[in-house]
Amino acid sequence: MLSNRLIRKLDFTLIAAVVGIVVVSLIIIGSATHINTPSDERYWFVQRQGIFAIVNCALVFFMLHFDYKILQRYGNALYIFNLVMLVAVMVLGQSALGAQRWIQIGPITLQPSEFSKIIMIISLATMLDKRMGKLNTFKDLLPVAAYVALPFLLVMKQPDLGTALVFMAIFFGMIFAAGVNLRLLMIIFGTGLACMPVFWHFLKDYQKMRIMVFMDPNVDPLGSGYHIIQSKIAIGSGMLFGKGLFGGTQSQLNFLPENHTDFIFAVIGEELGFIGATFVLILYFIMLYRGTKIANEARDNFGALLAVGITSMLTFHVLVNVGMTAGIMPVTGIPLPLMSYGVSSLTTNLVAAGILLNIYMRRQKIMF
Amino acid sequence: MVTTNKFRVRLETLSIIVIVVMLTLISRLGYLQVLEGDYYSRLADGNRIRLIPAMAPRGLFYDRNGALLVSNRPGFTVSLLSLVGPVSDDVVARLANLLKMSKEDIYNKISQHTGFDPIHIKSDVGPEIITVLEEKKDDYPGVVVEIQPIRNYINMELGAHIFGYVSEINDTELEARKGEGYKASDIIGKFGLEKVYDKELRGIDGGGQVEVDVTGKPVQILGKKEPVPGCNLTLTIDENIQKAAEKAIDEQLAYLQAKTEYKKAKAAAAVVMNPKTGEILAMVSRPAFNPNLFGGGISTKDWDLINNNPYHPLDNKVISGEYPPGSTFKVVTGSAALEENKVTPEEKILDTGKHWIIPKVNADGEALGWIDFRVALAKSDNVYFYEMGNRLGIDLMEKYARMFGLGAVTGINLPYETDGLVANRRYKEKVYKEDWYLSETFDAAIGQGFQLVTPLQIADVYSQIANGGTRYRPYLVSQITAPDGTPIQKFSPEKMGDLGISKRTMDVIRDSLRNVALEGGTAGEVFKNFPVAIAGKTGTAENPHGSDHGWFVGYGPYENPEYVVVVVVEQGGYGATSAVPIGKKILEAAFHIEPPTKEDPGLK
Repeated sequence: MLSNRLIRKLDFTLIAAVVGIVVVSLIIIGSATHINTPSDERYWFVQRQGIFAIVNCALVFFMLHFDYKILQRYGNALYIFNLVMLVAVMVLGQSALGAQRWIQIGPITLQPSEFSKIIMIISLATMLDKRMGKLNTFKDLLPVAAYVALPFLLVMKQPDLGTALVFMAIFFGMIFAAGVNLRLLMIIFGTGLACMPVFWHFLKDYQKMRIMVFMDPNVDPLGSGYHIIQSKIAIGSGMLFGKGLFGGTQSQLNFLPENHTDFIFAVIGEELGFIGATFVLILYFIMLYRGTKIANEARDNFGALLAVGITSMLTFHVLVNVGMTAGIMPVTGIPLPLMSYGVSSLTTNLVAAGILLNIYMRRQKIMF
Repeated sequence: MVTTNKFRVRLETLSIIVIVVMLTLISRLGYLQVLEGDYYSRLADGNRIRLIPAMAPRGLFYDRNGALLVSNRPGFTVSLLSLVGPVSDDVVARLANLLKMSKEDIYNKISQHTGFDPIHIKSDVGPEIITVLEEKKDDYPGVVVEIQPIRNYINMELGAHIFGYVSEINDTELEARKGEGYKASDIIGKFGLEKVYDKELRGIDGGGQVEVDVTGKPVQILGKKEPVPGCNLTLTIDENIQKAAEKAIDEQLAYLQAKTEYKKAKAAAAVVMNPKTGEILAMVSRPAFNPNLFGGGISTKDWDLINNNPYHPLDNKVISGEYPPGSTFKVVTGSAALEENKVTPEEKILDTGKHWIIPKVNADGEALGWIDFRVALAKSDNVYFYEMGNRLGIDLMEKYARMFGLGAVTGINLPYETDGLVANRRYKEKVYKEDWYLSETFDAAIGQGFQLVTPLQIADVYSQIANGGTRYRPYLVSQITAPDGTPIQKFSPEKMGDLGISKRTMDVIRDSLRNVALEGGTAGEVFKNFPVAIAGKTGTAENPHGSDHGWFVGYGPYENPEYVVVVVVEQGGYGATSAVPIGKKILEAAFHIEPPTKEDPGLK
């Protein structure tokens, strides 16, 4: 059992934010999947997401019993597991929208790339723990980069540009926190920018189109640009107070595609308005801000690195997903954490929140 | 342990990044939802709301006795409802094939259309096409069938030049009338009363506001506005007289073409007017056209047939046909001569068959000897009226012609009326840069030479004679009523001017015109035994382009005239043989006279 001492050290603010987001998520998924119109399967999505939320909360609570430190012991093993899993997707995976991302296990469709994000964070934290403050030269950085590059390339191969970009965010967030030489970081970014045209070459046509459409959705208003245009219309037309739950015409009349998954934030914007959307963003802000605080107060470097990795991942997700629905980020297929429908993503993010709680619960006692 | 300052700074930086990210996102939302919210709301409404317009039925036309002349009937219109996706090429190809249109035509209609309401592709299609569309719905996604009122000219060509026709508004009309609520693909009156009273007739379109989902399927009706039908017109036309006039002309033209030398007698005009009010009771122009052809977009074939007809079916020859008045003009010359005391009714002038100053002759070379005014007018003697012209001079003749209203439009409520020409010095000087010759005065005196009139102007002239000298504005509409029957506007006779010629003169003229229809007059044979006393005048106008035009003007009853009838038959030869038989039949209809049986219309 958890001691009372530990329970008292739980981050209740973070818990409140996470629970708040999950509750909003269930309501909005309900609205987006027409729970108010009679149909045999109208509760399917909400039920499923709700069950997984509860199961995962139990899982997280169970995990709190173990000191997060044991993760460090399995860091390398998890890394290998990650690679195997990603290869398995490529071999066994089912295609969806031209990308192999799914593995069917019984009634559950798993999206391994979601789990691979959190595994990536744990393995990288394990590796960087010993290199804190020792990332000053290109030679120092090379092994770390190679370590990340392997799963990164496997994800790119799927192709899952979204997850690959999340890996980048995690990588940069964590080496930044691990004290990488800033000039080195600048050089990497500079080189990266310079290599953009080469990179462009390796993108699939539909990915190129997404980026072109991001620049100007009207190049293909009924094709690739359609999502962005309809999403912006949904959010904008929500105005200050929103059209009310179930009242969003863009969402309810299906003008807004993928309204319960990647574009769920547009439903929030449309039905809850600026006030509701801002409220949701504040919940996210609390969660993310707590993430950075937890990194700050972690007992050890490993904990700090884990917290930074998780926060980087979540921040990137929120930025890219909300940015995408609001038309300031390209369409990359990154879900909104704890909000978008999808059990793999939900599990990953709840586990991530659990790890944050774990770290905070076992923080250093000396405050200054 | 993360204790060194450097790492603290790094973590603080990460916090700041989180704050910046959130502020960015919230600002973006503020921009989209608060600043641009109205704009996106309109876009969202545009996505989901479709306007299905319901065209207002145009106002109806009734004759003076309440007989329905022009109405509407329901017709099927094939339209495309603009969905989220563009209409596929396959569907357009299938539709083009079904409607027998070219694909380009359909694409043109699509590209010219703006807004979310249905794009009209073809109106008034047959039920067989609707059956195909209903049965093979899946082959025609986005194609909808609407029911729209189609203008129905019940009696086809009857009164076509009075009613006019309707058709889809064109770009120039749209540009000119945009401010008045006209919009693309509206049906608009293009000719005749349809054009003049379009605003009153068109009514107010209604429509339904329908919420549709992403596939264009209606989800719910948001609002419905019933169309308000247009106002109805009660015409001054008498359907019976109109029908009789049309029939008489058609029969007479057929007769002239088939049985006489006047093969080119294909065009004619007739008008019946109430001399006491200016009301038009009938108005016929030949050749005519079927106004029903225009409503649903006239086919190229039909249009070519109308447009290439050398006798111009679309001209209303009653108001825009300009003819030399011939002998019908002699009442003007005669009035002037009597009023100016250039002659007395009793003075006799010797007709030797030609005038003594300039050897101009009578039409058929006859010589009537010593004749007075009444005989001269009744028998339409040219030499006598050359002499009247000689005594008056061209300027006085011009003055009297203008007093009767010639050389100016009558002001009837129809478009495209022309004003004719009164022979005068200034015109000749301007056009030919030559002085006036006496022989031209002679020509003018008998309604030849420069003189040009429309049949309606002649009707106006004889109405003044018949009613004692008041010129009324001819009109076709007596009342505009709302769809529920309440009168909106009533039209009453409108005085345009007083002739100012003495009763003494007018009596002589009328007396002489009465003689025309009596034994010995030019129309005497035809009106022998006619139960109503008729006065009138025949005319045979020389036509430099072919055979003579035949004229007849008649009015009756002589003592208290109710009808003035004017008939002109282009290239029909003598007025007495071409126009008079028509005029007689019209007068029979007007006076409800059963014609004696077995009468050959061409024989006198």
